[in-house]
Amino acid sequence: MTPQAKHGLSVEPTHDEYALQTYVSALRMYTLQEIGSGLRGVYESRVKPDFEQDKGRAPKDEHEVRRAMMADPYCRTWSSMMRSAQEMIWDSVIPSIERAQPELNARANPAPGTNTKGSLTLDPSIEVPRYVTASDIHLMPGSYYTERAENDVSQGALYDRGVYVYAGGHGGPYCDTIGRSLTKYLKIRFPDFAPAKVLDVGCTVAQNTVPFAQEYPDAEVHAIDVSAPVLRYAHGRAESLGEALHLHQMDAEAMAFEDNSFDLVASTITFHETSRTAMRNILKECHRVLKPGGLMIHMELPRTADMDPFDAFYIDWDAYYNNEPFYQAFTSTNMKEVITGAGFADDEYVEVTMPDYYSVPEDEFHAAAIKADQRPHRKGRMGEGIHWTGWGAWKKG
Amino acid sequence: MSEGIKITPVNRGKRPAFFDDPAIDQLMAIVMAMSAEMSVLYDRVDTIERLLDTKGTLSRDDIEAYRPDQGVEDERNGRRNDYISRLFRIIREERETLVAHDKMDEYNALMDELAKS
Repeated sequence: MTPQAKHGLSVEPTHDEYALQTYVSALRMYTLQEIGSGLRGVYESRVKPDFEQDKGRAPKDEHEVRRAMMADPYCRTWSSMMRSAQEMIWDSVIPSIERAQPELNARANPAPGTNTKGSLTLDPSIEVPRYVTASDIHLMPGSYYTERAENDVSQGALYDRGVYVYAGGHGGPYCDTIGRSLTKYLKIRFPDFAPAKVLDVGCTVAQNTVPFAQEYPDAEVHAIDVSAPVLRYAHGRAESLGEALHLHQMDAEAMAFEDNSFDLVASTITFHETSRTAMRNILKECHRVLKPGGLMIHMELPRTADMDPFDAFYIDWDAYYNNEPFYQAFTSTNMKEVITGAGFADDEYVEVTMPDYYSVPEDEFHAAAIKADQRPHRKGRMGEGIHWTGWGAWKKG
Repeated sequence: MSEGIKITPVNRGKRPAFFDDPAIDQLMAIVMAMSAEMSVLYDRVDTIERLLDTKGTLSRDDIEAYRPDQGVEDERNGRRNDYISRLFRIIREERETLVAHDKMDEYNALMDELAKS
């Protein structure tokens, strides 16, 4: 694991906590990549032939593949290890967060009257939606919204460090690779597009929001989330990095912004954590707040409908075993249908696949961005030569 | 200023059992955790050795304050991966017989070729 970049809310682990975090990261990557690389062989050499012998045909979809694969001892061992590794991520981070708080809360919440570059607007009347509270997404104890003290930021700190350990540094030193990949792509592909007002939907600790402010320094960058603890943390983090973000506690299904407010409405891996109903409502709101001529684009996981049943099983494993209850529903959604259903014109639909900005040389990223590669890429997890997929549309001017 | 907090390390949602006997899942989790403790201990010994190499003496504070630079971290990462590979040898051995069937590398090579053309 490469070192995480420091910022004003970084939590310093002890010598042994650091050793544990780096090991857990390596163990997870080994399980994912080395042991996981045997799964295709498990399927081709025994699971599929056994299924064919039994049923007289190949498995027809990912669900049939999953049921057959999860009966195989190798796949069970891999799954058991993946589950444990994910739980160990949070275990490795929790003690340092417990120790750092409450000092961390004091650091994150500037005294009244302090000059800040950006802003934080909390709305205690916002109810955290059921799709967020139903389970602790990716097994993070307390999920995004739990508050353990007054003005608490502990869940933000837990997420910031936990995601870094998860990605093993593959997300870049600031763990901002999705926002970075998207903004770099937009600047290469649409050099004349200069959004004056940007909105990031479902920003969590705003790691991926900061690149919008950095790549479009003249833009006014807003971001929303339903959870106060992650927004407080996002604010303190962004201010310490000298970036002006305007953060709002807001439900994306019912935004408080006026119609036609933003030139660019984006999100980074938000939608696979929302329900189907919420997704449709959020897209309608994105259309409403977007200015005519503006662009909406959401960075997400690859669509499993474009994959063979084994790859779809592999990508959707997290839905069933890593507390990602909406992951499968999302990856099987026809995005063009829901986006046009939200009011966007059919001929303004945009779908792009781009390499991860930090994983490829600059010239390779540039070449891929220029080509606006629409090839769906089947790799979907950090550390695997990941590609990002963006869905969206231009709003008719 | 508020008092310290306690984050209970459990998550909301049922834990899946991957094996028919859930005790095997529990054992797997224990083995994974034990492997981590051993790695932490190794890093601590490594820190002690490095400090002794450079200073000839050390205190507990020296150990706590020590942070590996990128070179040391790369060395440790290499050692960790070798260690994991030895520890999970039994699974790696099966994987060796399975990757012969894996078409993923072939697929990716083809896709990379197409992307460049």
